[in-house]
Amino acid sequence: MRRRRFLTAAAGAAAAAATGVATGCGNLHSNDPDVLTFMFRGSTEERDVFSRAVDVFVQRTGYQVDIISTSADQYATKLQTAILGNSTPDVFYLEPPRTMAYVTNGVLADLSEYVEATDLPVDDIWPAGLDLYRFDGEKIGDGPLYAMPKDLGPFSFGYNKTLFEEMGVEPPDKDVPLDWDEFLARCTALTGDRDGDGTTDAWGTSVNIGAEIHSYVWSNGGDWVDADRRTVTVDTPEFAEALQYIVDLREKHGVTPSINETEGLDGYQRWLRGQIGFFPVAPWDLTLYRTLDFEFDLCPYPAGATGTSATNIGSLGIGVSATSRRPDRAAELAMFLACDPEAQAIIVGEGQTIPNTRSHAAKWVEETDVEPQNKQEYIDIVEDYGRFVPNAMTYTPEWLDAFYTNLQPVLEGRQDVGEYLEATQPVMQGFLDTGYEQLRIDQKANS
Amino acid sequence: MATTSAVPTAPLQTAGVEPDAARPRRRRGESRFRSPADVIVFVVLCAGAVTMLLPLAWMISTSLKTQESVFAIPPQWIPNPVEWGNYARIWEAGPILSGIRNSAIVSLTVIVVGTITSSYAAYGFSKMRIPGKNALFLALLGGIMIPFPALMIPTFMLFSRIGWVDTLLPLIVPGLFGNLMMVFFLRQYLMSVPDSLIEAAVIDGATHPQIFWRIVLPLIRPAIAAQVILWFMGTWNDYLGPIIYLNSENVHTLQLVIANFNATYAVQTDYPLIMAASLVALVPVLAVFLIFQRQIIESIALTGSKG
Amino acid sequence: MSATTSTSTLTAPGRGDGAAPRRRPGRGRLTRPERIWGRIFIAPPVIGFALFALAPLLFSLYAAFTHWNGLSSPVFSGLDNFRTMSGDAQFWQSLWNTLFLMLGIPIGLAVSLALALALNRRMPGRTAFRVIYYLPGVSSVAAISILWQWALNGDFGLVNQLLASVGIEGPNWLAEKMWVKPALIIMGVWKGIGFSMLLYLAALQSIPRTLLEAAMLDGAGAWRRFLHVTVPMLRPVTFFLVVTGIIGGAQMFAEINIMTPTGGPEFGSATIVWYIWQQGFQNLKLGYATAMSLVLGLMIFAVTAFQFYLNSRNVFTVE
Repeated sequence: MRRRRFLTAAAGAAAAAATGVATGCGNLHSNDPDVLTFMFRGSTEERDVFSRAVDVFVQRTGYQVDIISTSADQYATKLQTAILGNSTPDVFYLEPPRTMAYVTNGVLADLSEYVEATDLPVDDIWPAGLDLYRFDGEKIGDGPLYAMPKDLGPFSFGYNKTLFEEMGVEPPDKDVPLDWDEFLARCTALTGDRDGDGTTDAWGTSVNIGAEIHSYVWSNGGDWVDADRRTVTVDTPEFAEALQYIVDLREKHGVTPSINETEGLDGYQRWLRGQIGFFPVAPWDLTLYRTLDFEFDLCPYPAGATGTSATNIGSLGIGVSATSRRPDRAAELAMFLACDPEAQAIIVGEGQTIPNTRSHAAKWVEETDVEPQNKQEYIDIVEDYGRFVPNAMTYTPEWLDAFYTNLQPVLEGRQDVGEYLEATQPVMQGFLDTGYEQLRIDQKANS
Repeated sequence: MATTSAVPTAPLQTAGVEPDAARPRRRRGESRFRSPADVIVFVVLCAGAVTMLLPLAWMISTSLKTQESVFAIPPQWIPNPVEWGNYARIWEAGPILSGIRNSAIVSLTVIVVGTITSSYAAYGFSKMRIPGKNALFLALLGGIMIPFPALMIPTFMLFSRIGWVDTLLPLIVPGLFGNLMMVFFLRQYLMSVPDSLIEAAVIDGATHPQIFWRIVLPLIRPAIAAQVILWFMGTWNDYLGPIIYLNSENVHTLQLVIANFNATYAVQTDYPLIMAASLVALVPVLAVFLIFQRQIIESIALTGSKG
Repeated sequence: MSATTSTSTLTAPGRGDGAAPRRRPGRGRLTRPERIWGRIFIAPPVIGFALFALAPLLFSLYAAFTHWNGLSSPVFSGLDNFRTMSGDAQFWQSLWNTLFLMLGIPIGLAVSLALALALNRRMPGRTAFRVIYYLPGVSSVAAISILWQWALNGDFGLVNQLLASVGIEGPNWLAEKMWVKPALIIMGVWKGIGFSMLLYLAALQSIPRTLLEAAMLDGAGAWRRFLHVTVPMLRPVTFFLVVTGIIGGAQMFAEINIMTPTGGPEFGSATIVWYIWQQGFQNLKLGYATAMSLVLGLMIFAVTAFQFYLNSRNVFTVE
């Protein structure tokens, strides 16, 4: 009897499921060529903001757009699977390290003709941003344009104004960078025990190695690769000096939280609690940082041997599929999101990106009532001393990842910097070479 | 043993069943400890239970916090302030309701049909004479040994060609053919069912489908119940499949909706929201567990008949 | 009950060929319906296998011998991938990591068996305990991984808080080469106990009481009853759990991807499938990834086949 009840319940469930399957069959009208699909990844807020921008586009043009949202960590997989399965979205986010591979394998459409024909203020977009998505088959930076920059994210340095006042340290100049000795001096002055309980609770800075090493290396005259991007140059004295400087900040001078202290509460958490003097402030951090208990502002990164600052710029592109059935409309959407003033107002208004066009940026810099006051620093980075991390300009990012795999002992002072760099350079070089080989193979296969 | 149930009627009616076992719940012996060993066991179980529950308690606690207090030092166990609002927000942050509906469609269809096919297959593999069945079984087992990245792309290309991408079908159809884990487990379980039971039924003129349904099935109910619980959990929590196949939000399953709450930068991820949504997602699995685990208890009545 | 039960052999629960001693003889008209029905019964999984496992597998077999960047068609490259594999330190490291993590299997089995035995007794709160011990396995991998990432945090994570309460200073689990794998094992055991416990419970219920009673009558104490009646009767489930544990453990991926997205401290927590994934989808080496997948699949198959062989040699029958 119980069995009969179970069976009827099961039959009912199956029937419900069957009807469900029939109705829940997804959007077959994505096969409709007049509907644009836009694949997107981001937080719920970002999605919200971009949906609004897309709505403006839909109202203005009358085209239909389906937004496909994905979680950030599986974005690359989903996109790649879609490409292989012949269902590439019309418009999608492009991660710069993949540009060369996508172009070589015919995934991205050439946008040059659309860019020339449009009324949208494409020329107002940061030239550096546009160049990042140009590729001529040999190098990134020249050639046809294969994606619109969604934004540029200058990775600026910043400082905790309140802490500086408390510790009686002179704040950095907003234009002139400190040199490494001065920087060290200020960090030392910032490091100390504020509440008198015997433990250090304030530090000069905390270095996030993956994000900040570029700044120290570049401003000291070193680089990851040479100008042709064919040879890995981590074993140069300038590079070693920079890495040593970072290691010494912690091991020798103690101006950053020690390993044990970092294990507990990492640098970022300590910054949020107002315990760190100097720390990076990127545009995507702004909404959170504005809610913190202290005041902050931007300043240039300390300059090494070259005397000028350097830092990296992040970016994401908006690409159009080469197999799109309406590439003209897809290109229009990409360009719209990148530079249309109304779209930009919505996107920048969210507070997590800097304006994508120069005229907009010029106005934005003047809003001094919202932190940070020195917004010009972002502009300076984009126009002047910012660079792109080289993995955005090679075939695969594998060679750069190899640098970090065994870096931890060096950072903890257990392995010599010079030794490590000498041992790692050939490994990285090997990966870089394989990447180029792969480029040649793919170019031949696709010609 | 088999002699006491030579007649293939419902096993509950044979002799040898303890009168106590026939009563469904709350036997006299249950609410009392019967020996000092029981007390010790109880205490140890309680200690272990606390370990099991602590992380989940943390999950509940996190789901009631504000985003900033998630990172508070020292970590708060009792959220202050308590954000009940998180549970209201999850319904707006993503299409949770349709996510639940889609997950339910997939899970229920797959399990109802798949259990039937799997059970019959297990019966076939363990009790019936089929030439080459063991080699075949080993080959099937080989199928689940291939790491999924190798199979993922070709399978996607297959489904893409027949136009099933962006529907729930790629998640449902493969499951209808049976679940190899269930087949494997039931096959093992069936080996302790005496053959003489089946032989007697054959002699009595029953067809094999009947034999399975009326004789064998009741005997392996606890095993099926256990596997159903596990399979439901597997399909309900599946996340890699939906990520690849489902695009439009109206077909997203629940786990996919939750996964989309993750932001690009981990520091911006709304952990309380994710924990709240995950707890809500847990409820159906728990319900299935509670329903089906009774099947495992009640089979105590059946052990008597096997004695 | 006949005394033969305690001294006789028990039926082969895990015997690979499934043929117990006293089967019906020969093939003939009488067994024809059985063969027909048998084929119908096993047809669905076989068809499912052919469609969704075999066909993709054949494609992968081809892809393993190609350079395939995952964006366009594969290009044949012979044994290149396999040559690379033999010299790839990260491949061998990730294989070792995966094997190490499988230490959790015997630990988990022992704990869940003990649990199932405990919960098989009549005592108050039985159902509650069952639910509680099963609860960890119920939530999604993503939520559990995030949770454990927190719990394993060096300073304020749950685990170290507990250790601190007994005066031990815990390491920063996920960031130290020596501790990251034990941390993952602990998490794995915690998650998997409910699953194994459930199956052991189901199996314990099916052990005929009469068998145990007969053993008791023969004078066997509780421990010997356990060792000589219960454990052998549980062998089919143990076999199942070990086989599926190895197959599943060899494919551990989602947890690693969430908890240690760069492969862990000095590549210490990169499992083989994680490495395969990374090569295939990050580094455009899908051909190489497929080749590694096949090698892994073969290894698992060999281990499993060996287990089946071992298992079939331990025969016992019950009358």
